[in-house]
Amino acid sequence: MIRKLSYSLSLFLAVCLLSGPSRASDSDYQQAMKALGSNDFANALHYLESAVTDDPDNLRYASEYRQAAIKSKEFDRALSFFEKLSAAKPQSANLHLNFGFAYVDKIPVAGSITQVILANKALNEFTRAVELQPNWINLYTRGMSYLFWPKIFNRAPMGVADLEKAMKVQSPGPKKNYYVKTYLALGDGYWKTDQLEKARAVWQEGLKQFPDNQQLKTRLERQGDDLQKAIEANFDPNKRVDTDLRDLWTSSQN
Amino acid sequence: MDKLSKLKALLLSFVLVFQAGAPAAQNSQPVVRFEEIAAKAGMRVQHHTHTFHGKNADVLHMFTSGGAAVAVGDYDNDGFEDIFITDSDTGKPNHLFHNNGNFTFTDVAAKAGVAGGNDPLSVVSDALWFDYDNDGKLDLLIARFGTPILYHNEGNGKFKDVTATSGLNKFGNSIAVIAFDYDNDGYLDLLFGNYFKPVNLLDLKDPHVLPNDLDNATNGGGVTLWRNTGKGSFEEVTQKAGLANVTGWVLDVGHGDLNNDGLQDIYIACDYGTDHVFLNNGNGTFREITEKATGWDTKKGMNVDVADYDNDGWMDIYVTNITDEYMKECNMLWHNNADGTFTDVSRETGTCDTGWGWAAKFADFDNDGWQDLFVVNGLRSAGPESYVPLILPVITTPGLDITDPGNWPDIGNRTWSGYQKKRLFRNLANGTFKEISAEAGVDNQFDGRGIGIGDFDNDGRLDMVQTNADQPLLLFHNVSERTGNWIELKLIGTKSNRDAIGARVKVAAGGITQIREVDGGNGYAGQSTRRVHFGLGGATTINHIEIRWPSGRVESVTVPVNKISYIEEGRGVVPR
Repeated sequence: MIRKLSYSLSLFLAVCLLSGPSRASDSDYQQAMKALGSNDFANALHYLESAVTDDPDNLRYASEYRQAAIKSKEFDRALSFFEKLSAAKPQSANLHLNFGFAYVDKIPVAGSITQVILANKALNEFTRAVELQPNWINLYTRGMSYLFWPKIFNRAPMGVADLEKAMKVQSPGPKKNYYVKTYLALGDGYWKTDQLEKARAVWQEGLKQFPDNQQLKTRLERQGDDLQKAIEANFDPNKRVDTDLRDLWTSSQN
Repeated sequence: MDKLSKLKALLLSFVLVFQAGAPAAQNSQPVVRFEEIAAKAGMRVQHHTHTFHGKNADVLHMFTSGGAAVAVGDYDNDGFEDIFITDSDTGKPNHLFHNNGNFTFTDVAAKAGVAGGNDPLSVVSDALWFDYDNDGKLDLLIARFGTPILYHNEGNGKFKDVTATSGLNKFGNSIAVIAFDYDNDGYLDLLFGNYFKPVNLLDLKDPHVLPNDLDNATNGGGVTLWRNTGKGSFEEVTQKAGLANVTGWVLDVGHGDLNNDGLQDIYIACDYGTDHVFLNNGNGTFREITEKATGWDTKKGMNVDVADYDNDGWMDIYVTNITDEYMKECNMLWHNNADGTFTDVSRETGTCDTGWGWAAKFADFDNDGWQDLFVVNGLRSAGPESYVPLILPVITTPGLDITDPGNWPDIGNRTWSGYQKKRLFRNLANGTFKEISAEAGVDNQFDGRGIGIGDFDNDGRLDMVQTNADQPLLLFHNVSERTGNWIELKLIGTKSNRDAIGARVKVAAGGITQIREVDGGNGYAGQSTRRVHFGLGGATTINHIEIRWPSGRVESVTVPVNKISYIEEGRGVVPR
């Protein structure tokens, strides 16, 4: 009960933190959006860095910053920025989360060994975020991150553990559209740990909650090699993972 | 029976007859099939990777497990291709398999004087037949982690070690060597691909010899280019030729005319970092075009083969990389766009995933006029435990010096990307390939390294040798059925280098035009036949054969189908 309450509180806090600009950083954010509108990435990155520095827990600013960095291929600049800021603000879970995502953002353009190094560094940042704030987004993110590791490294069980916790966080509260991701990921985690029945049960439960979700339907329709292809297509290190967090503030409740 | 029933019965019988006819149509297709006959042929020999001693023995053994090589060539000019096989451990002999003409071979290496090379300070890694003095007899070069050995063919079944007077006296950790006449002076030059930087691994003073980055390493051995002076010796021209800036971990080098200007260009495949493409300027220098041609890469390049797989008149390039559960690099089939750029079509053609790739060679195994592709793979097949999880801390520990073998865990009896099935891709003549290794009988799980292709029984069907690290070699006799017609041309240069390496042959027959170039050792750890082989499918006549010699001379010839023909520059078809 206490644990449930603490999850709910942390979720509430996270939502509050991303729910809206409220400080001087807002002006920088608005300037950045204007610059982005005209593909002026240099200015957009500059203003977003100011906004994140001023309000490091703001998920929205940091997420927009990373998306701008992806578009302008400024991966190293983003990493350097988050590294310095998270060192200065080590208690900001959202900063660690975005730092981790900045590593993930660089993976598709990196060599195969560097991909492993980046993925491992991302995992370290996600772990720090979970330690500071075990809310839905941090648990879901780290859980998914574990699932990307090839089976030989045996990290999928840790992913399943995180995703089961994320499921517990989301279960009591009001339903959000993005909660479907947990059903997909947890099912994939069960599949990756050879628990096909549990995987199908989670996907089926997800489909009850989100009857229009095509990815859940596809997983439930397929078997064997076809199912493997459908799942593994989502874990290709050479494909860009969508790390845009805007769902968190644009998603409507069902 | 009413009318409707009769009609149905008639339709049914028509369908049955039609269906019965279908397999007959399929039966006209070639069936690619090989029989492994190494033991029967007297060639079942095992390769041994060099055994290191001391602290870093295990890791160095692993990093040098590439020297199982094969070189195909008719050293005694008896009309049958012979086979040279390397070994790599101290004191272990190389093998020269003389072709007895009946698909049996006799190891004459010791008698011929070419068995040595694995001395206490050197490791044999590759071999190459080439006629460096244009006397009509194939000489033999042994590449080593050490200094190379050059054997002159004395013509009586014996070879003489002429290294001391050859000028080839520079130490290198060479893993690949090819011969071609880069300056078109009529003499074959040598391009070495070097893996480690030039330090003697068998007498290590400083252990920091491993790659300084696993995606962008810059501390490898690069390449060395040696110009044949025409007087029985070679001089190093790497710097002068513009190739000194390659500092990667070169695993293979390949040559071919990539821009159809009559000059031999080069592709350099590097482990742990980017490959390189150089065009020949025609004045003894090369210019790098990697950025524009292919872009820089971070993959683990292992093999270079050059061939026009789609019969569009432009040479394409195939490079193997590493694709496994834990690393998804994909190979590169560089389709030549005919404008100085190449597009990787390995995914589209179905040739992307061959595991931990090593050698790959194009050849028309069913004589249908379209070149197929054989790829060998597998690093180390050993015990049930995998080495891969042990490497993770090496890769991810910040600041760990990965150049020091002492920081790498011992592999022990662990497997690393082992037990991988070989891949044979049949060219479907529509820009794609179909993997047929199982039905063709070549889907073995040895730790493959080199491929040597040749028509060992002169029946017009190309056979293969597969070498394997620390394992016996395999000899595949091509017993494919319903194969097409064919020609094989043995070119003899006069103004050009005698081996005619770099000559291009264009054959128009059966509605398609094919090109081939005489190949001076393309493909990792392997040299295939210098005979130019063309499958002709059902064509029984040839519209046109054109030869462009390295000297620039262009000649047309007429040869009979389903025969091996000898053609001399300036004289046309000549008796053997």
